[in-house]
Amino acid sequence: MTPSRHASRRDERTRVGALRGYAAILGIAIASLVAAGMVTGPPLPVDAAEAGGAVREQGASLFLQNCASCHGPEGQGGPAGPTLIGTGSAGADFYLRTGRMPLGAPNQPAQRGEPHFDDEQIAALVEYVASLGPGPEIPQVTEGGELHRGFELYTANCAACHGAAGTGNAVGGGAAAANLHQANSLDVAEAMVVGPGVMPRFDFDQADQDAIVAYVLYLQDPTTPGGLPLGGFGPVSEGFVAVVVGLTIFVAVARFVGRRPRGPQAEVPAEEIQ
Amino acid sequence: MTERGVPERAMGWFDERTGAARVVRTAFRKVFPDHWSFLLGEIALFCFVILLATGTFMTFFYVPSGAPVTYDGPYPPLQGAEVSAAFDSVMHLSFEVQAGLLMRQIHHWTALTFVAVVVLHLMRVFFTGAFRRPRELNWIVGFGLLVLALAEGFTGYSLPDDLLSGTGARILYSVLLSVPFIGPWLASLLFGGEFPTDAIIPRLFVLHVLFLPGLVIGAITVHLVLLVLHKHTQHRGPLAREDNVVGRYFWPGQVFLSSGLFFLTAAVLAVIGGLFQINPIWLYGPFEASVVASPAQPDWYVGWLDGALRIFPPFEPVILGITIPSVFVPGIVLPGILFTIVALWPFAEARLSKDRAEHHLLDDPWDHPVRLATGLAILTVFGVLTLAGGNDVLAFYFGTDVHTLTVVFRWLSLILPVVVWLVAWRFALARRGAGEGTAPGPDDPETEGRRPGSAVRRNAAGGFEEVES
Amino acid sequence: MSERAAERFVGLLFALSFLAGISLLFVYILGGQTQVEGVLLMICLGGIGLGIVIWAHRLMPTKIHIEPRGSVATTPEEMRRFEDALTEEAGFSRRKLLIGGLLGAFAGLGAALAIPVFSLGPAPGRSLFVTSWREGSALAPPDGLPEAVADLPIGGVFTVFPDGDTSDPNSATLLIRVEPELLELDPAAAEWAPDGYIAYSKICTHAGCPVGLYRASQHTLICPCHQSEFDVLHGAQPISGPAARALPQLPIARRADGTFVALGDFPEPVGPAFWNMTR
Repeated sequence: MTPSRHASRRDERTRVGALRGYAAILGIAIASLVAAGMVTGPPLPVDAAEAGGAVREQGASLFLQNCASCHGPEGQGGPAGPTLIGTGSAGADFYLRTGRMPLGAPNQPAQRGEPHFDDEQIAALVEYVASLGPGPEIPQVTEGGELHRGFELYTANCAACHGAAGTGNAVGGGAAAANLHQANSLDVAEAMVVGPGVMPRFDFDQADQDAIVAYVLYLQDPTTPGGLPLGGFGPVSEGFVAVVVGLTIFVAVARFVGRRPRGPQAEVPAEEIQ
Repeated sequence: MTERGVPERAMGWFDERTGAARVVRTAFRKVFPDHWSFLLGEIALFCFVILLATGTFMTFFYVPSGAPVTYDGPYPPLQGAEVSAAFDSVMHLSFEVQAGLLMRQIHHWTALTFVAVVVLHLMRVFFTGAFRRPRELNWIVGFGLLVLALAEGFTGYSLPDDLLSGTGARILYSVLLSVPFIGPWLASLLFGGEFPTDAIIPRLFVLHVLFLPGLVIGAITVHLVLLVLHKHTQHRGPLAREDNVVGRYFWPGQVFLSSGLFFLTAAVLAVIGGLFQINPIWLYGPFEASVVASPAQPDWYVGWLDGALRIFPPFEPVILGITIPSVFVPGIVLPGILFTIVALWPFAEARLSKDRAEHHLLDDPWDHPVRLATGLAILTVFGVLTLAGGNDVLAFYFGTDVHTLTVVFRWLSLILPVVVWLVAWRFALARRGAGEGTAPGPDDPETEGRRPGSAVRRNAAGGFEEVES
Repeated sequence: MSERAAERFVGLLFALSFLAGISLLFVYILGGQTQVEGVLLMICLGGIGLGIVIWAHRLMPTKIHIEPRGSVATTPEEMRRFEDALTEEAGFSRRKLLIGGLLGAFAGLGAALAIPVFSLGPAPGRSLFVTSWREGSALAPPDGLPEAVADLPIGGVFTVFPDGDTSDPNSATLLIRVEPELLELDPAAAEWAPDGYIAYSKICTHAGCPVGLYRASQHTLICPCHQSEFDVLHGAQPISGPAARALPQLPIARRADGTFVALGDFPEPVGPAFWNMTR
C-alpha cells in the first residue's frame, strides 16, 4: 500500500525535526567542550633582563613595565585599574598565579589562565605590591581539613554564587562566580581573604579555612554514584536531556514500532471493503 | 474443532466462572488505526506504570518525616550532619540499598520524560483536531492529567527534603500566601503553619503516593473508557471514512506492538536511569531555611512558572489598603489564564469555526490555520517562559549579563508569540490555498476518504486505488 | 529480512534478554553497580521489547481490517426512553420544595464536613508580622558567638541570628560591612548602621528565598531564585529583577566590646508580601 502524501510529509517533518534535535545536541556538546577549555590571554612583554637585582627592585621594575599603565606608577590606581594599596601579598599572589592579571587590554574580564610570569617574577611583584600598604597576607593552608565542616561552610557561604557542585554561575552586574574545578588549595584560601572581583571577603579561622579548602578540592573529583553528572547545573541540564534527548529517542521508538505494515500484511479482506 | 491444548482449557475454566470469552472475543476484534503518533499516549501510560513500579519500591524505604536525625551513613561530607529523617532515608536508599539509586534515578528520569511525552501527545491531539466533538470531555480529562502530572512531579521531588527542593517549597508557600484575603490561610493550612514546618513532608508524601495517584488512575481510566467508547480517530486515507475504523485487530497485532512498546520504553528509561546522574541530593545537602545554593531551578516542567516569576516586572500595588504581592500575577493569575485557554479550547474552536459536527477523521495541522497558529503561539509562550527560568545558567553559559537576558526574555514573551501566530497563520493559509490538503467541511463528501459508489482494488504495485464501479 | 532470518533474530533477542536477566542477578549478588545494572536492565527489557515488535511486524500475518463506526450519541428514540425511565416513578416535578430543602441540607452538611480542613494549620494571626528578634538580642552566627562577627573585613557578609538561635528561620539576617562614607540612608536608618555595619533581613521580599549572593565591590545583594537585586548602600532598595520591596533593615547598635545587638524587631514584616501586610 502506498503511504499517503500526508503521511510521507509528516515522516519528512519528523525526520527533519529529529535531525535538528541531533544537530542541536551536537552543537551544544561542542560549545561545552570549547567553554570548558582553558582561556588564555594574549602574550605580554615580560622583562627577563632583571634576573639579578634585589627582589623588591625587580618587583618595582616589573610593576612599572606591566602594571603601572592601568594601576598607576605607585599602585595608587588610575582610570583603567583600581588601587593596589591594601591588596596585600595575598591579593597580588592570587591574581598573578592564576593568570587573571595582567589583562590583555583594560576593562577585559579577569579570567583564569596561564600565569604570565614565572614563579620568581611573581614573588618579586608580590613583594613589591605588599610593600605599597598593609593588606591580607598569603594564608597558610594545611591538608586534612574536616570535610563535613567544609561542606557546611561551603553551602552556607559559597554555594549561592559558585554552585552546589562548584560549577560557577552568573551573579548579575555582568559578573560571574568562577568555576572552582581548577583551583588549588592556595587559590581557594587566598580568594576567601582577598575577595577578588565582586566576591565578598571572608575571615575564617585556620580550621574553617582548611575545611572549606578540603571540600572545594573534593568537588573537583566528587563521587558520582549515579553516573554521568551532566555538568552539575541541576534541573536545567537534566531537563534539557529529558526533553531533547529523551523525546528524540521516544519519537524514534514510536516511529519504529508504529510502522505501517507493508506487503501481504497490508491486505484487506475483500468482504470488509464497502 | 481444534484440539484443546492447555491455553484453550485454561480459558475454558476461566470462562465457566466469568462468561468472559464473549467479551474478550469482541475486544480481540476491535480495530485500532495505525499511526506512529498514536503511540505517544501509550508511551505516556507506560511511563506512568514505570513510575508506579519504581515508586512503590521506594515507599518501602522512604521515611516521611521532617524530624531531625544525625546522618551516619557512608557519604563523608555529610557525616555528622543534622538532617531530616526524610533526607536521611533517601541518602540511605541511594548509598546503602542495593539497586536503590537505580530505582530512584529511573523514577526521576521517567517523571521528566513522562511530562514531555504527555505534552507531545497533547500537541498531536491538538494539531490534528482530535479534541473535536465527541472528544471534548476527553481533552479536558487529558489536560487534567497533565496538571496532575505537574503536581505529582513537584510533590515527588520535594520529598527528599533537600536544599534545592525545599527552596521550591518556600516559593510555593509564598505564591499561596499572595492570594488576596485567603492567602495566609491557604498557606498555613497546606504547610501546617508558617514556613518552614516539619509537617509539610508527611503531607507531601500523602499527596504524592496516595491522593494524587488515585486521581491520576481514576482520570486515566476515564480517559481510556472514553477512548474505547468513541473509538480512536484516524487519518484520512483511501479506505478511511468518518463512519468506519481502519486498522489492525487488537489481538494479536496491537497487543504485541503495545507490549513491545512497553518493554522498549522501560528499556530506554532503565539505561538513562543507570547511566545519567540526576538530583544528587548529597551535593545540595539537607534543606535549611536560611541557606540557598544556585542555580536554583525546579524540574523542567515547572520551569515556565519559575521563568514567569523571574521576568515579570516588579509590580506590588496597594489598592484600598490591600497589597497585591508581586508574585500573585505571574504565579496565580497567569497560569490560571493559560490553563483555562488550553482546557476550554475545544469549545472556543467550535464557536469560532461554527463546526459542531462529530469528527473521527483527523485534520492535517495546516487545515485549520487559526488552530495551528494559536497552538504554536501558546507553545511559544510556554517555551519562552521555560527558557527564562534558566536565565542565570544561560547568562553564565553564553557570557552575557543576567539582567540583559531578563529584559530580552520580557520582550520575547510578548512579541514572539504574536510573530509566531502571524507566520504560522499565513503559512497554513498559503499551504491550504495551494491545494495541498484541502480542509473538508462537515458535510463535504470529500470528508470521506473516497467518493461514494466507487470500489477499491489493489494495483500491481501493491497499493490501493479507486475504481468507478 | 526473510521470515526465517527474522525468526532467528527474535530468538536471539529473547536469548540475549534471558542472559542479561541472569547477569543482572549475579551483579546484584556480587554487590551491585548502578551503571552496569542499568545497562543490563536495558538489554533484558529491550531484548523482549524488540523481539515482540519484530515478531508482530514480520512474523504475524496481521491484516488490515475495517469495522463500522456509528455516531456516539444515542438515537432520539432511545433518548426519549431514557428520559421516561428517569422520570417515570420519581415525580420530581411535584417535589420542587423538597428538592430545594435537600440541596440546602447538603450545603449545611458540606459546611460541617469542611470544618476539619481548618485543623490542618493554625490561624495565621500575627505570625507573619513578627520574627524572634527582640531588643537586646545579640547578632551571632548560627550556634556561634557574637564575637565571631564583631570584626568583619570591609566587603564581608555574614548570616546572623538572634543570639545564634536558628529556631525561627525567618529571623535570618545578613550583617554586612561597607565603608561608612558610602552609605546613603535616611537619617533614622543611618543610626542603625554603626561604623559601616548594616543588617538586612535575608528573606527575599519577592518569594522568600534566602538572599544568598553578595557582589561586594558593587554593594549589591542578589537572590538566586529569581535574580532580584538589592542596593546595600541605599537601604536594600530593589534595583533589578522582580522584587518590589526593599529588604527590611534590622535596627542594631554596637556595644563597647565591638559586638552587635538588636534594638528591636524589624520595623516591617520580612519576606514576601501578603494582602494585609500594611495593617
